[in-house]
Parts: sequence; C-alpha cells; structure tokens
Amino acid sequence: MSHTPTAAQPTGSVLPPKSGKTAAPALRNLALPLAACALLTASSKVNAEYGINFPQPAAGVAQEIYDIHMLTMQITTFLLVIVFGFVFYSLYYHRKSRGYEADQNFHKSWFGHWSWVIVPVLVLGIDLTIAGKADAVLKEVWEVPKEENIMDVKVTGHQWWWEFDYLDHDIKVESRYVPHEESGDLYLREVDNRLVLPTGVKIRFLHTSADVLHAFWVPELAVKKDAIPGYVTETWAELNREGVFRGQCAELCGTWHSRMPIVVESVSPQQFAAWVDDQQAIKVAAAAEASADKTWSLDELMAKGKPLYETKCAACHQATGMGLPPAFPALNGSAIATGPLEGHLNIVLNGKQGTAMQPWNSLNDLEIAAIVTYERNAWDNKTGQAVQPADVKQAR
Amino acid sequence: MTATTLTHDEAHHHDTPKGWRRWLFSTNHKDIGTLYLLFALTMLFLGGASAMLIRLELFQPGIQLLAPDLYNNLVTNHALIMIFGAVMPAAAGLANWMIPMMIGAPDMALPRMNNLSFWILPAAATMLILSFVVPFFPGGGTQINTGWTLYPPLSVQVGMSMDFLIFAIHLLGISSVLASINIIVTLLNMRAPGMTLMKMPMFCWTWLVTAFLLILVVPVLAGGVTMLLFDRHFGTSFFDAAGGGDPVLFQHLFWFFGHPEVYILLLPSIGVLSHVIPAFSRKPLFGYNSMVGAMLAVATIGMVVWAHHQYTIGMSLGAVTYFMIGTILISIPVGLMIFNFIATMWRGSMTFETPMLFAVAIVLMFTFGGLSGVMLAVVPADMQYHDTMFVVAHFHYVLMPGAVFGLFAGVFYWLPKWTGHMYDERLGKLFFWINVIGFNLTFFPQHFLGLAGMPRRIVDYNVMFTEFNVVSSIGAMIFGLSHLLFLYIIIKTIRGGKKAESRAWEGAKGLEWELDSPPAFHTWTVAPQIK
Amino acid sequence: MHVPEHQTPELRRKNIRLAWMLGGLALFFLVTSFPFWSGLFRIVGNQAVQ
Repeated sequence: MSHTPTAAQPTGSVLPPKSGKTAAPALRNLALPLAACALLTASSKVNAEYGINFPQPAAGVAQEIYDIHMLTMQITTFLLVIVFGFVFYSLYYHRKSRGYEADQNFHKSWFGHWSWVIVPVLVLGIDLTIAGKADAVLKEVWEVPKEENIMDVKVTGHQWWWEFDYLDHDIKVESRYVPHEESGDLYLREVDNRLVLPTGVKIRFLHTSADVLHAFWVPELAVKKDAIPGYVTETWAELNREGVFRGQCAELCGTWHSRMPIVVESVSPQQFAAWVDDQQAIKVAAAAEASADKTWSLDELMAKGKPLYETKCAACHQATGMGLPPAFPALNGSAIATGPLEGHLNIVLNGKQGTAMQPWNSLNDLEIAAIVTYERNAWDNKTGQAVQPADVKQAR
Repeated sequence: MTATTLTHDEAHHHDTPKGWRRWLFSTNHKDIGTLYLLFALTMLFLGGASAMLIRLELFQPGIQLLAPDLYNNLVTNHALIMIFGAVMPAAAGLANWMIPMMIGAPDMALPRMNNLSFWILPAAATMLILSFVVPFFPGGGTQINTGWTLYPPLSVQVGMSMDFLIFAIHLLGISSVLASINIIVTLLNMRAPGMTLMKMPMFCWTWLVTAFLLILVVPVLAGGVTMLLFDRHFGTSFFDAAGGGDPVLFQHLFWFFGHPEVYILLLPSIGVLSHVIPAFSRKPLFGYNSMVGAMLAVATIGMVVWAHHQYTIGMSLGAVTYFMIGTILISIPVGLMIFNFIATMWRGSMTFETPMLFAVAIVLMFTFGGLSGVMLAVVPADMQYHDTMFVVAHFHYVLMPGAVFGLFAGVFYWLPKWTGHMYDERLGKLFFWINVIGFNLTFFPQHFLGLAGMPRRIVDYNVMFTEFNVVSSIGAMIFGLSHLLFLYIIIKTIRGGKKAESRAWEGAKGLEWELDSPPAFHTWTVAPQIK
Repeated sequence: MHVPEHQTPELRRKNIRLAWMLGGLALFFLVTSFPFWSGLFRIVGNQAVQ
C-alpha cells in the first residue's frame, strides 16, 4: 500500500514559493491590447513581461515550439499587412466619391486570366515554408527519445486533481488546488503538492485518466496531451532551467475544470535526489503506522479523517457535507453515510459507475477508515461508529 | 397527386391563405424564407444572451454569477444555439428567399418538404431549450457540462438533459438534410432555360456545395450521437475503454462532421459577398471560375482534415503530419477567394453602404482569422494553443466575420427587395460600427489570454488574466447590445421607409433585381430566358 | 395544404427521383459511419456468446 502525502503532511517545497504576477487593477491599461499587437512581433523578451505571449520556455522542445510559433506569427503578420495594404489602398483610391470610374475589363486582362495560377503558387510557397519548418520540429517533439535512462512519470487526471507517479522511484504525489484563502494571488495556479522534477534529465510523461478526459499543460514545458481513460499517451521534456512553472488542465472535465492547476518545480538533480529520499521516508513511516496492530479511538480517527476528507472529498461533497445536488449528493444525513457500514465502505472503495464518484481503493486501510469514520460522525451524522482499518481490509 | 396537376394559369389565380394558416401550411418559398429568418433572429438573441452571461461571469476573477455547471451549460448552449439555431437557419432562409428568384424558378422543387424542413426546427429548438431547462426541476438530473463537443466519458455522466440534447441534434440534422435535398434538387432541375451551371449566380453555387456537405456529414454526427445514446442507456461501450471501446472514436465522428460544418457556416456568406462586393464596386466578380473551383477545393479538402481539432489525442507521427499539411493547404483555395474579393474591389467605383461595410470588414477580419488558423494548423505550436483562449479568439474571428457578418450583409442587401422599403442607412452604418468595434474589443484580447496560459471553458481564472478579460467582457456587452439596434432597423424597415425600386442598388445585377420590390407572391411563373 | 402547381409531371417525377437519390446518399453516410454498425454487431455477438 503506497502512502500519499496530503495537505496535512506537506511534502515541503525545495524552493521558496515564487510570487506570481501580482494583480494589476482592472482597466489600468486599456491601451494594452492595441500596443500588444505591435509588441508581439517585436522582441520576445518584452512579451514575456506583459503576459501577452508564451512564457519563456524551460525545455528544449518548448524552445523549438516557441520558435516555430514566432516564425509562423511573423509570416502571417507579414501577409496580413500586405492584404490590409492592398485593401486600404483600394478603399481610398477606387471610390465613386473620388470620381473613380470602374475598370470593367480588369478581370479580362492577362492578370485576370492567370491570377488563378499565380495566387495559389504564391500561397503554396508560403505554405511549404511553414510546413517544412513545422515538420522538422514535429519529428523532434512528437517522438519520445528511446533512451535507457529516461525518467518515467505517469500523470493521471482525476476529477479534479492530478496524480503523479514517479515510476522509477516508487513515489506517488497527489496534487490539488489550494483554496483562495491560502493561495491568494496564486489562486487556481497553486497546488498543495508540486510535481518536482530534476533538470538535465530526459523525462517521459505517460498520460492517462481515471474518469473523463483531461489534458496536462504547462506552457513552459509546452507539452499538452490529452489524458484518455483506458489509454496511455506520451510526451517528453528535458528541463533546462530551475524554477516554478504553472499550468492548468486544458480539456473540459466537468464542474471544477477550472480547479486543476499543475505546478512543476524544476530543481537540480541533487535537490531532486534529496526530495526523493524524503518522500520515501514519509511513505515508510505511514505504511508502518497503517499496518500497526492497533485499535484506533473515535477521536484519533476523526482527527485523521477531517483533513483527508477536506482534501479528497470536499471538492464535490463540500466541507459542510451538503454536496452540490443533483451532481454531488449530500453526505450529511444521507442513507449511505448513516446506514450499514458495508454499503458505505463499498461505495468509497469501488466508486459509483457513470458518476464522478471514483474508486478510492488506492488509499490505505487507515486512511479509508479515517475518512469513513469522519463521514459517519461529522455534521449531523452522529453514528458514534469508529471504523477500524481491519474493517476496511475485510471489505476490500 | 395527379388531381393537383393544374396548369400554370389556374395556379396563378389561387388565393393566398390568410392568418396563421398562411404560415403553418405555407409552401411558398418566400414565406418559408421569412419564417427561417425570423426563427434565426430569435435564436440569435437567445444565443447572444447566453454569451453575454458567460462574459459577465468572466468579467472578474472569482465565481460571482454562475455556478460552474450552469456556466458550462451556457457554453454548450451558446454554441449549439448559434450554430444550429441562428447561422444555419439564417443561411437556409436566404437560400429559400433568393435561390428561386435568382435562377428564375417559380418556387423550390419540393414545396411540401420545404414546409416540413422548417417546421421541424421549432420542435428541435424546444428540445434544445428543454435540455437547458430540465435540470432546474426536481429530478431533472445534472446539467450538460461538456461543451458542444459532447465528448464522452463526460457526456455519459450527464443526466437526462443530455438525452434531450441528442434528440434535438437528431431533429436539427433531419431538418437540415431535408432542406439540403430540396436546395440541390431546385438548383439542378429548376434553373431557367439557358442558365447553365457556370452561369449560375455565385450564391447558388455556394449553397449547392454547402448542401452536398450537409448531406455527407450530418448523418455521421447523427450516427455518433446515437452511439452516445446507446452507451448511456443500452449498455454498449462504443466509447468506453472498459468495454473495449475508445473515447477518441467519438471525437473522430464528431469532427468528421464538425470541421466541414465550419465550411457549411462559411460558404453561404461567401456567396453573399460574391454579390455584395461586385454590386458596390460596380464591376463584375473577379474570377468567377476560380471562385467555383476554390469552393469545390475547400469543400473537398475540408472533408479530410477533421483531426486537426484533436492534435493532442496522441496520433501517430504520420497521421498528424498528414492532417497538418492538409490543413495548411486549405489556405490555397481560401486565399484565392480572398484574393478574388480584393481584386473585385480593385479599380472598382466603390460606395460604402451598410452591406459593403460589412463585406470589407469580412475581407479584413476573416483574413485575420484565417491566418491565425494557419498558426493553429502547425502541430508543434498547436500543442501550446490547443484548448486555450487563443482558439476561442481564432474561431470567433473566422465565424463571426465569415458567417454572421456575411448574413448581416445579405440581410441589409436584400432587405429592400423583401420589404419594398429602403432601411435607414444612417442607422445601418451606426450598427455596423458599434458591432465591429464591439466584436474586435471582445475577441482580440483573447489571443493574448490564450498565449499567456488561460485555458478555454473555465468558469474562474487567476488574477493574472484579469485585464484582458475585463476588456473582452466590456466589448462583449457592447457587441451583444448592438444587436438590439439591428432588430430595430429591421422592424422599422418592415413598417415603412423610402420606397425601394426594383433594382434597389445602382450596381446590383441578377434576376432577383428584375422583379418588383417587394416581389409578387408567386414570381417567375413564366421562366425568363437566359442568353 | 395547397401547392400552387408550377411543375409539369415530368419535372415533378425528375425532382422526386433526385430527392430520393440524395436521401439515399444521406442514409448511406449514416450507415457507413461504420464503427456504429461494426460495434453494434460486436456487442450483439458478445451477448450471443454469453
């Protein structure tokens, strides 16, 4: 049984949290959109500061993608200027109010006869320029390098949190958004447990989902891939600088799609190794605690259950236990949470098909026992029942 | 059937039915065209209201107005109402009104079916609105929070309102396939003697291609949503990996319909432009033949590049390369169309009445949207753009000018023909300027939001995205409310105004301008001879 | 529902024939959104086996 760090037992950040772009008063700069157009094609360094272009890439593939983005944007802007130039010239000079007489034979000139060849050939030339460059980049981005020592991270999307499995280190991280009161200006861009990754190592991300479609996206890494339940897709990146990079889920995944931030913390390989050791120590301690042959008191279980409930269950069922009917039923006073224990354990362990309620059987017996005890005793549910890890083991 | 085989003269003397029977039982292409246009106008306001609610919610970070599922529901309904309720019926309305008059036919080829294909629409719209409303009633299940793409497995989670939506899509599909059949038969069999296909007005050509596209792709969508219905209720697992299915299969079916749908929305407006620009430039359309060729090329290539909407699903390198190059190549025929429009204006003698203002705005802004489309077609770059606000900005720049402004241009261009009155030119121009400025204010900033990292379809966002969202929301309010002026202008023109001549515009060419304004109830009962 | 008659019997036949052909084309595309049918047969087959 692997242990999962939660908000109550913070994984600890290796780097101090970097403050995000602070909120500018709304409407401060209405001229921004206009200026932005000109800026976009100018210098990439300026762009990053105003938040009107992609952030500075932090991986090789991201840099290539950034470059092809800038190239196509410059080509298309150039074409746009040409089209606008011709149109505005014509709008100004070829007007009836200026006394301009229509040239009724314009379409019969040599130009009129051959433009259907000339124009497509010109456009084809531009197309091939773009496609040729894109094709070269695509090969590099698309195919994961076949290397022995590539680091595998399995990214699983859940409604509405991310699970990161470090397959080579046997560590699992659950990553959830942090409520506004605690995250402030980083609200919806900050998580409780970050995806800590080393620089200078090729990393393969294996994307999948436990329920509906999600998409993993961190702009600095530039790898966006759908997480499809039952299938695995892959992307890769090699981080080339340290820092904290923020992204969000990019495929509509239901009610709290907006609350699935991803925070990548890029650290040196040494710091990463230290972090891995810490995680494994926490895991061993938790496993020892869970397997201890001990009868837990109601108070102990409630104290353990509350934070677990609040991180794992409250997004849907709410901290008040009232849920958000009809999508998410209330637990307070519900037939399942106050009825027979078997039914309650069954739905928590196995989920409910066709709904957002997923199986929670990856949690250990103690965690399930604590959550179920909390749900059966919190709010108005005063069953007084202390569910023991042994009960959970039996129900599995 | 044989009993109704009357001669031309007898039919001509028949009384027009009065009151509601005139509309409910109508087989007259002009009346059905009017019905289509009024229906589309109603839906435009419904879809617009939902868009304004979405933008109001996004005015500031935080969740102020709409619960997340209601927000997602509005996102879904905004798209479906606008596409199936507003743009397609409006284009069909123009087709009904104009095609018989343009090709010198007395009516559509299948008048009774014409009646059916319109009257399915209100039923379908009712189903669509029910899918929105039902969750508010006890036991109504959850709201549709999937967006108009209805991707499973999320759409399998949704309550009964999804079933209403699936049936609404079936009805809308039947309606548009019937209308398409009618239009194709009319165009192929009912043209006046002497009007060969290559002499057909451009609007008719665009609708011929559009109608074929509809017949080919709408049944595939119907198949896809039927499979979804089976997955939801009959235990099949087409889209469920646990039962051997694949969620991505639905995406392929959806976009096999969804991408040609873009051209279905676009082409009728290209047809309108091909009449408006020559009329106000006072010279013939530049490159009629290449226009027809370009359109056929767009339709053909457009059928086989659907997966560029799904670059992130993990296709093979070969597949994405094919879809990327195919998509980029669409710029060739589309570029040729834009070129032909500019060359039509070039050395013309232009005046700028409202239809022409919209036409010029389309040429400029649709080019802009098309060019950001080339950027999106590039697979590696799309790994960044995909499902961000950049995409939202792109497709609104394509569809608003490309489809909706084209319809506005058509309405202003032919309103004098339909009503017999000139609209108020001053108000028309005012509407144009408010509309276009509002539009750009709404969607231009969304490019930057997308590049800076804001995903689409989120109800709440980080403070770093505030400024552009504020601008966008203010723009959206201006843009949305400006359509009340549009409504006012139409009502005012129907009720009165300067008498329109048969040829309402100096440069207007075509058979429809040979008829009175407004035309008689039955026109071209004796087919004109085309030289 | 009265239809003002403007079509000769030959034209009417021609129109209706073309309409049926186009309707057939639409049906063909519905049917050949083939995963539907292949999937349906697979499921029917599976249920027969069980």
